[in-house]
Amino acid sequence: MRSRNGNLPFLLTSLALSCTIAFGADNYYIGYRLSAKNTQAIHENLTVSKAMRPCLPENTASVIIFKCAPQESLESVLKREQTAFLEFAASDELRVKSNDFFASAQIQTLNSLTLPTKCYAVEFNDESVTITATK
Amino acid sequence: MRISALLALLLAVPALHAGFFSSDESSETKVKCVYSGTDGHCVEPILKSQNELVITVIGQGVAPSVTSSPAQAYALAKRAAMVDGYRLIAERVKGVQVEGQDTIKNMMLQQSSTRTSVEALVRGANIMNTTFKEGLCEVEMEISLSYSRVLH
Repeated sequence: MRSRNGNLPFLLTSLALSCTIAFGADNYYIGYRLSAKNTQAIHENLTVSKAMRPCLPENTASVIIFKCAPQESLESVLKREQTAFLEFAASDELRVKSNDFFASAQIQTLNSLTLPTKCYAVEFNDESVTITATK
Repeated sequence: MRISALLALLLAVPALHAGFFSSDESSETKVKCVYSGTDGHCVEPILKSQNELVITVIGQGVAPSVTSSPAQAYALAKRAAMVDGYRLIAERVKGVQVEGQDTIKNMMLQQSSTRTSVEALVRGANIMNTTFKEGLCEVEMEISLSYSRVLH
């Protein structure tokens, strides 16, 4: 059973989530892919696409808030805050694929991380943007 | 008869003591703590319904030699370290597929190669700590496994 003090942040977060999803939030599909060769990042690709249909909210959605300038697009915010967003999204679900090759005179490692494309509710405020994982 | 029994008893008591102590010491040295529990104690590397299995790995990544700024070097090294960390988690949780190939000609080894591969979907891994020193980024990552998470 939760304590009285423990319930308040939970309720506030739920309220913020419900408001974010219900009022004025746009839905975006965001995916990410990163490749690393011999422990060096060689290629990364972030894809952002506005959803044509609204996404259904899930029960345990997580939220992240970034600062943004007025009229700044989601792509530019995500490119600026890519590391923070990746940590936020990766804690939920991430696909890893690794192939290593060892021969007599060469060792080669090729790893890739793929963030499955998911729907996020995005709400732009005056100086911040709230991103909520919805599906 | 009594003397022999007494002698046997005298010999048996130190032997039993030695046996007990040596067995304790050997068991302590034999048990290797691979995974640590949430309370900090060593737990068996088997997921049971009662406890939670916490796996901690340290991923390493190197910054490219040519970068436009130190910040970019840090960001790229951290990305690479995250990839390595996720790979290590996948290795521990799911296992590694190993494939070896040796070519022998006229009873002599011509070529030897090994391929390892890992593929997994990782949920709930967290970055606990990040250090960046001399172009090497180390990311400490942690994932906790429990029945509720597995069955979720």
